[in-house]
Amino acid sequence: MLELRGLEAGYGDVPALSGVTLQVGAGEIVALLGPNGAGKSTLLGCVSGLVRPRAGTISWEGENLLAIAPHLIVERGLAVVPEGRRLFGSMTVEDNLELGAFSPRARAARRESLERVFALFPDLRTRRRQVVRALSGGQQQMVAVGRALMASPRLLMLDEPSLGIAPQLVRAILDALVEINRAGVAILLVEQNVRAALTLAHRAYILEGGRVVGEGAGADLLGDPHVRRAYLGPLAAGA
Amino acid sequence: MRSPGGGTEHAWTVAILVAFALLALLPLLTARDDVLNFVFLVLLSITLAQSWNIVAGYAGQVNLGHAAFFGLGALTARTLWIAGTPVVIAMAAGAAVATGFALLIGAAAFRLRGAYFAIGTLALGEILRTTVGNALPEISTLPAASIAGYRLAPRYYLALALAALSVLAVAALARSRLGLGMQAVREDEDAAEATGVSALGLKLRALALSTALAGAAGGVFAYYHISYYPSHPFGPGWTFDALLMTFIGGVGTLQGPVLGAVLYVFLKEYLTVRWVDFHLLIFGALFVAIVLIFPGGLVQALVQAGNGARRRRARRPGATT
Amino acid sequence: MTLLAQQIVLGLLLGGLYGLAAAGLSLVFGVLKVLNVAHGELIMLGGYGAYWLFALLGVDPFAALLLVIPGALLLGAGLYTGLFGFVVRAPEETRIKNSLLVGFGLALALHALAVRLWTADDRSISTGYGGAVLTVGPIAIPLIRLASLLVALALIAGLHLLLARWRWGKAIRATAEDWQAALLTGIDIRRAYLLAFALGTALAGAAGTLVSVGYSISPSIGLEWTLKALIVVVLAGLGSMLGTFVAGLFLGVAEALSAAAFGGPYREVVGLVIFLVVLVLRPQGLFGRAPR
Repeated sequence: MLELRGLEAGYGDVPALSGVTLQVGAGEIVALLGPNGAGKSTLLGCVSGLVRPRAGTISWEGENLLAIAPHLIVERGLAVVPEGRRLFGSMTVEDNLELGAFSPRARAARRESLERVFALFPDLRTRRRQVVRALSGGQQQMVAVGRALMASPRLLMLDEPSLGIAPQLVRAILDALVEINRAGVAILLVEQNVRAALTLAHRAYILEGGRVVGEGAGADLLGDPHVRRAYLGPLAAGA
Repeated sequence: MRSPGGGTEHAWTVAILVAFALLALLPLLTARDDVLNFVFLVLLSITLAQSWNIVAGYAGQVNLGHAAFFGLGALTARTLWIAGTPVVIAMAAGAAVATGFALLIGAAAFRLRGAYFAIGTLALGEILRTTVGNALPEISTLPAASIAGYRLAPRYYLALALAALSVLAVAALARSRLGLGMQAVREDEDAAEATGVSALGLKLRALALSTALAGAAGGVFAYYHISYYPSHPFGPGWTFDALLMTFIGGVGTLQGPVLGAVLYVFLKEYLTVRWVDFHLLIFGALFVAIVLIFPGGLVQALVQAGNGARRRRARRPGATT
Repeated sequence: MTLLAQQIVLGLLLGGLYGLAAAGLSLVFGVLKVLNVAHGELIMLGGYGAYWLFALLGVDPFAALLLVIPGALLLGAGLYTGLFGFVVRAPEETRIKNSLLVGFGLALALHALAVRLWTADDRSISTGYGGAVLTVGPIAIPLIRLASLLVALALIAGLHLLLARWRWGKAIRATAEDWQAALLTGIDIRRAYLLAFALGTALAGAAGTLVSVGYSISPSIGLEWTLKALIVVVLAGLGSMLGTFVAGLFLGVAEALSAAAFGGPYREVVGLVIFLVVLVLRPQGLFGRAPR
């Protein structure tokens, strides 16, 4: 569904992505791993339209995504949960969710989408009129995921959803992702928590220094010695 | 704003000074007051624009209260001169008062960055204008004896000397350590600070030089006009004129304000003859075009035209590559 | 004592217009991050619009609002499309500086145009009911100014509701808060900018109308009103229309008090001084939250 080929991007003289090629197929959960500064956020930026790549192609269901204005990408079926959530802090949970369904296609389905979000995150239903700024990190993350879901996406992209969130809430969010995926939504997950990401993902790519240096099925990569050494640490307890 | 290059600026400095030297001969060649008044206005405008250029083009801040310093210089010089002080000393005192005030408010003012500095100085200018307008509402007129003995030539030469001084000051500035420091601050203030450059110190020095010249120009204004309202030189129109001339000519360059001033005064006089105030409409539009399309003003346009001509020459058949 | 109370009441009435004038500027700055220093000239144009509707067609100024506001909406949309739409393409720092310069060029041009078309004379709308006064004890409240205050309050409340309930109102708020996140949720931020600018201009036009009937207008009121609006915006901070209105009232009262204390000619100065003090004491700029 989503295909990146030979993607090159950078800021000024600094190259952030060099010749990146990856795919996400329908119904897949694909993880994107790698150290800080590897280019993972830049990659998502290119797909979502916020960053302009210097070379390469991004196609979505056969269509050239680079030719589409950023605010129209949501209409095509891709939604992003950005790093740090980027919620509209001064507005309520309900307003944030409603804005998620801004595009015409999403707007038509917004009542069902809202119910689905509340079913996934019951906590949000009770807090729907609260101002987002007042919520905890984990609750905000739920709102962020919910907001992206309101767009009725076929591909959901998340940038470091577990960052700064209490472990039990991370668990809840990852479980929610599994459920979302079961409902037919493909997921591209950029994650620091490598173990959690690999247990979740069907496939994964490893990005280092702007290049894809590894690729494989989630379970396989969990057992890969390089991955274990680089990302799971010498004290990794068991598999 | 980047200047096209030291070599070009050097050439321009020489050219401008030669032009000034020729202009020094003008009163000897013509007795026509209208010509001399016109050139006087151009020279005063050059100083006004060049002084504004120092803070805007070199220290990178848009000062919308420039008229305050022009006005303070005029007020001080006028008061002293009418009371009997020799005009050059009165002018120097005017410059000193303007600079003193600038240094007084400078530290606080420069806490504001970018747009906030601009509107803050705008407010400051208005405060001074209103206060002076309230405190001295009556028109200031020269005593009859001075009017009888009024000669244009000394005014002309003072304006010429000041204009030359302002051009030389900017020429020296661009190449000095002060100038280079300012460039560093202008490009990236935080990085410059990290390398030990005191941004505030540099900005204050730029402001001091700018306001000294503006204050001196105010003194020339006070010496030139027979009668005017004391609050008039504090009016925002003077700031806006300086801003327009500098931007249209090319902010941050040496020749920009000079070119802009010449063009501006020329068009103003020409357009005013046909349509009163219409020149402002044209200039407003021109100004907008410059900000959005040609941020480097005339100088940029000339450089680009020059590059274009050079490229075309190289492409002609028979030209060696 | 009564004189002071009278002055304060008059100051409050004027302050409501300051608030309305500021609301438009605040909206534009908050959403587009653009400082339109020609805002006062837009107020001036609104005033002339109402004036000529009255002088040529006999339209009552309060009724004229129904014509001036849509007209100003269109004017704002035009100014955005033709001018400020280009300014917003630059990154935020250059954008503010460019907007200052462009706004200032626009202000010059509009001022010159107004002088050319309508001369520099002061003008005011005198309606039949112009002299009517509501007497509350020893205090005389000019009815027109009272009505203007209520209209201003109603417009601000209306704007507040628009931003809170209307889908595009929420989109405007979202764009103001985080334009990149707004793009990610599918909001066309250029459309949000256009709407915000048009609304801001509409508020300016309305303020101008009220100024022309309760006070007076001339081509030169532009700079004066831009500064008033700036002062109120600095006092209020961004984000709350109602807060801006209250800050406007505050400025009106502050001016009245300073006129009583220092004499009439200095009433303008106090606002500007407050402005500078607030500006300098809040180095994070007009609207930042305090540095974390």
